[in-house]
Amino acid sequence: MNRYDVLVLGGGLAGAMAARAASAAGADVAVVSKLHPLRSHTVAAAGGINAALAEGDSWEGHAFDTIKGSDYLADQDSVEIVCREAAAAVVEMDHLGTPFSRDEAGKLFNRPFGGHGLPRAYFAGDRTGLSLMQTAWEQLVANEITVYNEWAGTSLIVEEGRFAGLIAYNVADGRLDEFQAKAVVICTGPGGQMYGKTTNAVTCTGDGLAMALRAGGALKDMEFVQFHPTSLHGPNILITEAARGEGGIMKNAKGERFMERYSPKMLDMAPRDIVSRAIQTEANEGRAYPEGYVDLDLTHLGAERIRERLPEVHEFAVNFAGVDPAEKPIPIEPAQHYIMGGIATDNQGATNVPGIYAAGECACVSLHGANRLGGNALLECIVFGKLAGSAAAEFAQKHAQVEGGAAALSTDDRRIDGLMASEGTERVERIRQELKRVMWERVGIYRNDSDMTLAVGAVEDLQRRYANVRVGAKNTKFNYALLEAMELRNLLDLAEVIAKCALIRQESRGAHARTDYPKRNDASWLKHSLAWLRGDRVEITYEPVRITKWEPKERTY
Amino acid sequence: MGAEGADVLVAMIKVYRFDPEDGRGARYDEFEVDAAPGRTVLDLLHDIHYNEDPTLSFRRSCQSAICGSCAMNVNGRTGLTCSTQAKPLLDRDGYLVVEPMKNMPILKDLVVDMDGFWESVHDVDPFLQAGRKVPKGPYIVPKARMELLKIAQDCIMCGSCLSECTSREANPDYLGPAALAKAYRFVADERDEARHGRLMVYSEANGIWDCDTCLYCNEVCPIHVKPMDAIMRMREMSIEAGIQSQGSKHAIAFYDTILKSGKLNEFATANKSLGLKGMVAQSGVATKIILHWKTPEIRKKPIEGVKDVTKLANLIERKKRRGTRR
Repeated sequence: MNRYDVLVLGGGLAGAMAARAASAAGADVAVVSKLHPLRSHTVAAAGGINAALAEGDSWEGHAFDTIKGSDYLADQDSVEIVCREAAAAVVEMDHLGTPFSRDEAGKLFNRPFGGHGLPRAYFAGDRTGLSLMQTAWEQLVANEITVYNEWAGTSLIVEEGRFAGLIAYNVADGRLDEFQAKAVVICTGPGGQMYGKTTNAVTCTGDGLAMALRAGGALKDMEFVQFHPTSLHGPNILITEAARGEGGIMKNAKGERFMERYSPKMLDMAPRDIVSRAIQTEANEGRAYPEGYVDLDLTHLGAERIRERLPEVHEFAVNFAGVDPAEKPIPIEPAQHYIMGGIATDNQGATNVPGIYAAGECACVSLHGANRLGGNALLECIVFGKLAGSAAAEFAQKHAQVEGGAAALSTDDRRIDGLMASEGTERVERIRQELKRVMWERVGIYRNDSDMTLAVGAVEDLQRRYANVRVGAKNTKFNYALLEAMELRNLLDLAEVIAKCALIRQESRGAHARTDYPKRNDASWLKHSLAWLRGDRVEITYEPVRITKWEPKERTY
Repeated sequence: MGAEGADVLVAMIKVYRFDPEDGRGARYDEFEVDAAPGRTVLDLLHDIHYNEDPTLSFRRSCQSAICGSCAMNVNGRTGLTCSTQAKPLLDRDGYLVVEPMKNMPILKDLVVDMDGFWESVHDVDPFLQAGRKVPKGPYIVPKARMELLKIAQDCIMCGSCLSECTSREANPDYLGPAALAKAYRFVADERDEARHGRLMVYSEANGIWDCDTCLYCNEVCPIHVKPMDAIMRMREMSIEAGIQSQGSKHAIAFYDTILKSGKLNEFATANKSLGLKGMVAQSGVATKIILHWKTPEIRKKPIEGVKDVTKLANLIERKKRRGTRR
């Protein structure tokens, strides 16, 4: 057993920043992470981090764009915090060493991103996430913060209604162990692997979200799933929005610049939900290529600009699609990319369970509402990572350790022993593939009642089949088959929440687009969903959106 | 991904296997896989793990060449399996063999112990050490000077370079290319104020002077970082900074004898870089050299055209001085 004041579950950008903040506040901190921090999915973020740093820009402008982008579902006080802190966050990361791209005179460059009125995305080439993650990890090293690498969290221990500790699985030796602490910050990032097409890493299985749900936390706005318009056709590797920010143009199979039909003003730089729907509509109406993709044309930018500003895009197109983007358009298609919803927290990252905090993609404050704007996720990780880390440290100072955890440890032990001993007939991979297919086909870009009703039934059926699953490997060291079985349980539970929340919300808002309810309905649905686990059942409640000064208006671009 | 129905290319793949607990020792298993065009080595490993043998262990995550998890040795060369296509290798070599990275202990199948790798990276103090002159806003650093970091800043710490590093193979204490590229990233960053101290530390044993310049690190890096270039730049910087180390003395002595005679004077070089004490310590080597009749001539006659050598050297010196002023 290990004892700390504050645990951070997940070592990505939010986790590293939370750990640093908690450590700076005097707490004894450890990071427990399924992956080495530099392997976390933060590094896949490419294009930029938003801040109103440029002349003529203001935090209010950034806030308005974010709120409009969210289709007015974001909590406006939360948006204000992030947008006010954004400039300081970028400057702080620069001071800590992030090699932001600069102009000849030495000032930070920015570039336009979808849905923003002004260019305000700061970047390091097209490897901004990698660069910020390096800086955050360097700070873990500089501050000598303990990191338990390749430990996957399995359960949050809650005793007497308060956080008491964490159970985690050591991938290297196959053992479970208990970590005691007074507070935890969950920063486990994305959970998009329940979708057939996704830009998420295979390890993005929403572990922290599922753990928080089971520990009595609420999952907020889970029906809002972002589909990124430009993933590479086939492997669904992310082609950053910066490709369009730098001037890239999308065309359908007939060579038409189809965005003229969907967003006459912003064209290719419309927010992601609108662009993804546009591509899907082109495909549905037979104007995409037969395999369902369209072209992203960068040829007019020229080889030099592509190499300088978009080296990763160049690399991906050449290596994974065999296309030189200076010569031929890149074949792209939408893919799941981000979950706007997450563990419900307040503006300090606190959940409804005392001692449990969350930040980053797995959390929902809500900054992104029904649709996230590009460049706001890295920002969220830094601003709310720090706030949650500080708040957790403060909580730990004021509260004594809650004892207990032996019961949770033995429950998890039994569950894993059961998985290992099962001679059931179901295979992990079969269930996983069926889940991905159901979610992509029935809870995807366009949704309707009958599809989602079928999806809910299908997911529940897969959950029943999971009870009969057999793990194909019985060894203890680096048993990824077992880890995947544990991850699948999390994906199934989250898919159930997403499908149920989506089915109930009878309107179209942001990324939640229903063909049977094509309009936004503020009178009935300007509210957040909250999913809870009561016994074995998912229960959904609602709470109002916090509006400060931006009254909901029609959202056009 | 890859083949959707029709274009299946059946091929054999040999995969290194080792489970410390099964008592069977290391071996290779063969699998039949679909290596259709566009399919990566990682796709094939996934097929095996998901559908044939779930006990096969390997690290992977992003599948887009940015997280650095899936570096392995494929047909004798280390790289990211997620961005390595299978078919071109089959066409070139006629076979596919996947093994774990080298220079790191093997833990299970294709999973290696990277603790030693990370320790080396930690050893270079991999974080910015800012001085007292921190500006209120972002630092002003002109593009050209920020771009000095380019040869190192995108390192994803996959370990490919260390796997191929011949110096690390010979000397397990050598910091290795990834750690030194990381070190360079701070030395080259004018926001960092510990540059001189860093160069002094990196000039010590197992540092920049221990690279034997085989160039493999540059060649295998999947993200086009150039660790060896970074190491060479740090050597130049440390000499310019007047940092005395055995390596810099050796380089200077080497240069001086070439200037004088156009040839390497091994005796003078060793004398200058090692000193008398060092020379005595090397007497074993000297004896061996004599016994093998490999003794170099002690007094070097200048080569013909030594003046051209001097001219060339002066030209380079002048050009370099102009470069640093700019």
